[in-house]
Amino acid sequence: MSIDLGRKSLEKAVKSGASYADIRIGELIDENLTVKNGIPEETSLSQTKGFGVRVMVTGAWGFAASVDLTGKEVEEVTQKAVAIAKASAQVKRSAIPWKKTAGKKDSFSTQMRKDPFKVPLEEKMEILMDADRALAKQSPHIKVSYSFFRSKQEKKLFMSTEGDEIRQQINWCGGGIMAVAIRNGEVQRRSYPSSFRGNFATSGYEFFQSLKLTEHAKQVGKEVVQLLGAEKCPSTVTDLVITGDQLALQIHESCGHPTELDRALGTEADYAGTSFLTPDSLNKIQYGSKIINIVADATAPHGLGTFKYDDEGTIAKKVYLVKEGMFVGYQSSRETSADLELKESSGGMRADSPLALPLIRMTNINLLPCDWKTEELIEDTRRGILMQTNRSWSIDDKRLNFQFGTEIGWTIQNGSKEKVVRNPTYTGMTPQFWGSCDAVSKDDWMMWGTPNCGKGVPGQIMYVGHGCSTARFRKIRAGLVK
Amino acid sequence: MGTKRLLEAAEEAVHIALKCNVDQAQVATFLVDSALTRYANSQIHQNVASKRGGASIKVVVKKQVGTARVNSLEKRQIEDAVKNAVRIAEVTPPNEDFKSLPNPSSWTPIKGTFDRKTAECTPNFRAEIVKETIDKAHSKSSLIKAVAGSFFTGSFAFSVSNSLGVSAYAKMSRTSLQTTVISSSGGSQGFGSAEQHSKWIEDIEPSLVASEAAETSIKSINPIKIPVGEYEVVLSPRAVASIFMFLGYIGFSATSYQDGQSFVKYNLNRQVFDKSLNVKDDSRDAKTLYSLPVDGEGVQKKKVQLVEDGRVSAESICYDSFTAGREKNRRSTGHSIPPIFRFSSRPRPFNILIAPGSSSIEEMVKDTQQGVFVTRFHYTNPVEPSKAILTALTRDGTFFIKNGEITKPVMNLRYTDSMLSTLKEIPMIGKELDIMAEVTAPAMKLQKLRFTGITQY
Repeated sequence: MSIDLGRKSLEKAVKSGASYADIRIGELIDENLTVKNGIPEETSLSQTKGFGVRVMVTGAWGFAASVDLTGKEVEEVTQKAVAIAKASAQVKRSAIPWKKTAGKKDSFSTQMRKDPFKVPLEEKMEILMDADRALAKQSPHIKVSYSFFRSKQEKKLFMSTEGDEIRQQINWCGGGIMAVAIRNGEVQRRSYPSSFRGNFATSGYEFFQSLKLTEHAKQVGKEVVQLLGAEKCPSTVTDLVITGDQLALQIHESCGHPTELDRALGTEADYAGTSFLTPDSLNKIQYGSKIINIVADATAPHGLGTFKYDDEGTIAKKVYLVKEGMFVGYQSSRETSADLELKESSGGMRADSPLALPLIRMTNINLLPCDWKTEELIEDTRRGILMQTNRSWSIDDKRLNFQFGTEIGWTIQNGSKEKVVRNPTYTGMTPQFWGSCDAVSKDDWMMWGTPNCGKGVPGQIMYVGHGCSTARFRKIRAGLVK
Repeated sequence: MGTKRLLEAAEEAVHIALKCNVDQAQVATFLVDSALTRYANSQIHQNVASKRGGASIKVVVKKQVGTARVNSLEKRQIEDAVKNAVRIAEVTPPNEDFKSLPNPSSWTPIKGTFDRKTAECTPNFRAEIVKETIDKAHSKSSLIKAVAGSFFTGSFAFSVSNSLGVSAYAKMSRTSLQTTVISSSGGSQGFGSAEQHSKWIEDIEPSLVASEAAETSIKSINPIKIPVGEYEVVLSPRAVASIFMFLGYIGFSATSYQDGQSFVKYNLNRQVFDKSLNVKDDSRDAKTLYSLPVDGEGVQKKKVQLVEDGRVSAESICYDSFTAGREKNRRSTGHSIPPIFRFSSRPRPFNILIAPGSSSIEEMVKDTQQGVFVTRFHYTNPVEPSKAILTALTRDGTFFIKNGEITKPVMNLRYTDSMLSTLKEIPMIGKELDIMAEVTAPAMKLQKLRFTGITQY
C-alpha cells in the first residue's frame, strides 16, 4: 500500500479546493469454509484491493472509490470526490462541524500466535469434516449438519491532510457447528458456540482451535433431538435468564444501535431509523437498573471490534454508554461529536471496505459483570425460563420494542433447570427490560463476535464484538408464537 | 468496460484455469458503477460513488471444487485468483453432490435494460432531484421538520464463461429514490415514507414521492394506542412486498427446500394460500426491476410459478445447477445469484411478481369494519421458517380503519404470525402494481393479521 498514492490524492484534493481530505488504501482477504452433511459446500477466498477518498469542500462531503490502484485513477477519483462534494454543497443547511486534530504516524497489528492464512487448508478442512461427522452421527433425526470456518485479514493505510499516516492490520477468525433435526414436520436447530456460523475474535488460528468443535458435537446433537420432543415455550410473563450468546444480540440491538450518534441525530432516518436516546436525554434518561454498566470498548482484548485507530484516525478507547443504569454516552465520529459539542469522538468510524464510506459502527459493546455466579443466579430464581442462543430478532426503528427467539429454553422451577422448551421467544420495551435486570453473572463473562452487522445506504456489513455473561430479567413476556 | 470486454476477460480466465489441468472451470466477471446521494435533516450528508469490478471463479478437479473471488479486473490479479481457486480445489475433499457446471443452452438477451442517462447521472443532477424532493416535502406543511432519503443511480454488467461452452452476459441500469419525512406537532412526531425503483431515471418522480411521504407523515402525528390482537389489515404494496421477499428467501430457495427448512416442503400441492393468490418469479416480465436474461452461471433465467391459485408445488422451487444436481431429472431454473450482488449465495427468486386483482386501496378500506392500514413493515425476520412464521413492526404511517374509513393514526404495531394462516384469506387484491426492488406487488386486504405488540410512537 503506497504512501505515494495517498500523498498524490491528498495533494490533488487540496489543490482542487478541499479544506480536509483523507484516503484509505486497503486490502482484504476473506476465507470461508463450510462443510455440510459431510461435503465441503463452500471453500472460497475473496480478495479486495482498493481505495476510498473522502473530501470536505465548502463545508460539504464527497466520497469516491475505486479498485484500480494507479496514480492516474487516484487523481481522477479524487477529482470525482471533489465534484461530488461541490454537488453536496448545493443542498446544505449548515457546514460540517469539524475540529482539527494533530496528525499521527503509527502502526498496529492484531496480536496473534498463528496466522490463519498460513495454516494449510487441508488442516482446517479436516477439523470441519471431523466436527461434521461427529455431529451427523448423533441421531438419524439430524438431517443437516454444518461446520464453519472463517478468517479475515484487513490491511489498511489511513492518510489525511492533517498529517495522519496510520497502518493497521486487523485479523480475525472463528467458526462453529450447527445441526438441524426434523421429525414429522417439526424442524429444530442447535448451534455451538453461537448461531450464525459460530463465534469470532480478533486473534490468530489459536482462537479457532480453542473452540474444539468436535468435542461439542455430542451436546449439540443431544439438545437438537431433545427439542423435537419438547413442549412449546409457554405464553406467560415470567422471570427470564438469558445466556451470554443471546444477550450479546440483545445488547447489540437495544443498546449498540440506539447509542450511535448518527442515528440519534437523524442521519439514518431513511433506512434503519432513529433512536429513542435523543440528544436531550443524554445524562437524563434511566436506561436500565442500577447494576447496568455498558461500555463501547475498542481496546478489549480479542474483541471482534478491537483495533487501534478508527477509519478517521481517532485512537481506540473505552467510553461509557450506560453507567449505573443512566444513559451517559454515545458512540460518535469527529463530525457528530463536534455537532453535539462533545469533548471528542468516541472513535467509532469504520467502513467495511476501502470502497465504502466510514460510518459510526459499534466497536465492542460490553455489559460489565456483577458479582453473581451463573449457578447461583439460577438457584436464586423461583420460577422462570432460561433462554440460550439466538434464532430470530426484530426491533423497531427507534430501538424500543424488540422480540427475540432463541434456539433452546429450559423452565426453571425453584432454582433448578428443568424441562427443555422449544421455540422460545420473548419481547419487551428497551428501558423497561433493562430496568428489570437484577442479576448479571461474572463467571461466564466472555467476548462474543458478530461479523454481520448491517448498516447504511449503500449497505455495509461490519464485524463487532459484545462482552457479556448470563443475566436475569424480572417479569418478561415470553412465548409469542401461537 | 462493456459486456464484450468482460466476456473476453472471463474466457481468458477460463483458459488459464484449463491450463492448470482442471476438469471444469467457470468465471463470472462483473463491473458495478454506482453513485448514491443520501440526505437527512433536509440536507445532503453522504454523497458517494464507486466503481468496483472483479471476477468470481469456480474450478473443478474431479469432484473437488474450489472457488475464489477477486475484486479487480486486472489480468494479473485474476490469474492469481484462478490459481488460488485451483489450489483450494486440489486440497478440498470431493463434493459428492456436485454433478457438473451447466452445459451451454440458448438464451435471449432482454432489450432496453440499459439507459446511459441513468448509468452516467452526474452528482449535480442527483443534487437537483434531492433538492426538489426536500423542497416539495417542506412545501406541504410547516409541520414537516426533516426530510431524509437516498437517490441511487448506476449500472452493472456481468459476463459468464465456462469450459463447457457457456457464454452469456447481462447489463442494466438502475435507479431508486427513497424518502422519509418526519413531521412534528405538540410534541408528537409523524413519519411517512415513499420510494420508487426503475431501470430508467425518467421514471423517477421526486414530487410524487415527496408528496406521498409528506402527506402520510402529517396524517400520522398524534397516534393512538390500540389493543393488540387480530385485525383485518389493508397492506400497501410496500408492506406486501416485504412479506413476499422473505417468503421467497425462506420458502422458494432450493437450499431451504432440500434442507427441510422451507414451508413449501410440508405443503406441496395443498391449498396453502387463498385461491386468488398467484405469484411468479419472472425476469422477463416488464414490471420487474432486475431484468437479467441469465443467472450467475450463465443459465437463462426461467419463469417459475411460485404460487398458483394459492397452491405451492415442487415446481415452485428455484434452483441453480448445484442444487438441481442433487435431485433426479431436475435442471437449473436459472437462479444462481449473479456476481454483482453481495447477498447470500443460495439460489432464490428476486424477480417476484404478485398477480394484481381488481380492487383499489379505497375499496379495501371501505370494505373493512375494524382494521389497520399499514404503509410499511420494518425489520421483518423469520421466527420459524418451516411454518412461515414472520415478525415485523409497522412503520412510517399506520392507521386505524373503522366502518370503512381511515380514522386515526395508531402507534406502530408488531405482528408475529404464520403467513400460512394470514395469507389464507385474501378478500381483495389491488389492481395497481408497484415495483419494490426484488418484488413487484399490489396492495392487499387480509382478513386477519395477529398483532402481538405495540410501540410508544
